[in-house]
Amino acid sequence: MKEQTVVIKSNKYGITLFLKKDIPFQELLENIAEKFKTSSGFFKNAQMALAFEGRSLSREEQMEVIRTIQDNTALEILCVLEQDALKESYMKKALEERQHERSSNSGRFYKGTLRSGQVLESETSIIILGDVNPGATVVSKGNVVILGALKGTVHAGAAGNEYAFVAALNMSPMQVRISDSIARGADGPVNLKGNLTGPMIAYTEDGRIYMEPITKEVINDIRI
Amino acid sequence: MSEVIVITSGKGGVGKTTTTANVGTGLAKMDQKVVLIDTDIGLRNLDVVMGLENRIVYNLVDVVEGNCRIKQALIKDKRYPNLYLLPSAQTRDKTAVTPEQMVKLIAELREEFDYILLDSPAGIEQGFKNAIAAADRALIVTTPEVSAIRDADRIIGLLEANEIKRSDLIVNRIRMDMVESGNMMSMDDVVEILAIDLIGAIPDDEVIVISTNQGEPCVGDDSMAGQAYMNICHRVMGEEVPFLDLKIKSSFLGKLKKLFK
Repeated sequence: MKEQTVVIKSNKYGITLFLKKDIPFQELLENIAEKFKTSSGFFKNAQMALAFEGRSLSREEQMEVIRTIQDNTALEILCVLEQDALKESYMKKALEERQHERSSNSGRFYKGTLRSGQVLESETSIIILGDVNPGATVVSKGNVVILGALKGTVHAGAAGNEYAFVAALNMSPMQVRISDSIARGADGPVNLKGNLTGPMIAYTEDGRIYMEPITKEVINDIRI
Repeated sequence: MSEVIVITSGKGGVGKTTTTANVGTGLAKMDQKVVLIDTDIGLRNLDVVMGLENRIVYNLVDVVEGNCRIKQALIKDKRYPNLYLLPSAQTRDKTAVTPEQMVKLIAELREEFDYILLDSPAGIEQGFKNAIAAADRALIVTTPEVSAIRDADRIIGLLEANEIKRSDLIVNRIRMDMVESGNMMSMDDVVEILAIDLIGAIPDDEVIVISTNQGEPCVGDDSMAGQAYMNICHRVMGEEVPFLDLKIKSSFLGKLKKLFK
């Protein structure tokens, strides 16, 4: 039987690669490629942390290993961990930090009016070019910016980011949720013409949602 | 080239059937060959509004199940020889027909007719799915009420998801006096919320009630509603027609009263 030069061990948040010490690096890379090719179906397009064991690699070598893995699978390696920090909890924390960073710092655009019954979900921040009508829902792990009227429901920071914010050119929402906080629109007679509020931003402070016209002071306090 | 148009609204009672009858009759008036299909299986009433109820022998379900040929089920209108009605079944329910069967049926009708109008049932279930399955475009009927607009919004979203390329809006039952006093949304308000093109605005007119009860569509007569419906027909055919001024002209006496207020 062929000797195992590469062993993959994985948990929910990351992969540990056990590498054989005394074989040429190129051969090792080939073995890694082979190994991951056969297990690409298992990993699918997960986002994971990576750790090495059994062999110390230079920075360039690490990068090459990561490139090999990503060429052969749909896996995405978000960070590399030092050898002595292999605990699952540490991996989890590191991964979540990266994901959080990514969800609020990167975004996508959506063009069109979201109508009653439609749900738009996003792992990242989202910018909507159009209205969010009553009965429509937007859920984002990051921030939500609406270049139009918000008349439906928005949940920003859905994975628990309390620094997320919601901004809209016309803010008359049914409900705004940020992380675990919920605020609902005002009761009272329906304004047939729709409320023209002007640009407003919603954010949380001490678990409460505040909605204010967009001014320099408010924007200075926003954390991304 | 034939065009298949579904008339739908989501909410019930906003005027889908009245609109189907009037737009269909109006198109026939302009020498188009038109068939109206009632897809509201179990609650048929397009035949009543058209005044053709007593002529029904076969219906949509009979055609789909192969109990008769399409020609046998088509009822020729009593006023216009180029206008036909395919009535719905009253004793069955929406599950008697599938969207695939509707597509097949309409493909056959396309060869014969210029316009195929589908009167959709209220709701978004099977009956609605049947109605939109083969449609090229849609006329969305709504009234200037929050509930009807909410449902229309949902319907427009569903039509977009089903790749119906074109949806136009008909705002029905407008009362200009209420709009002016600020108690009702205007056409512009409705269009702004729904963000689709307006193809017609129909005033709240008692003529509609009378014509519906008599089974005589009012399209093209000299009433406000009749004119508004005729304009819609022209616009459906691609003509540019200016929108009617729906303001009720005040009488001489009314003007006098205003003067002395």
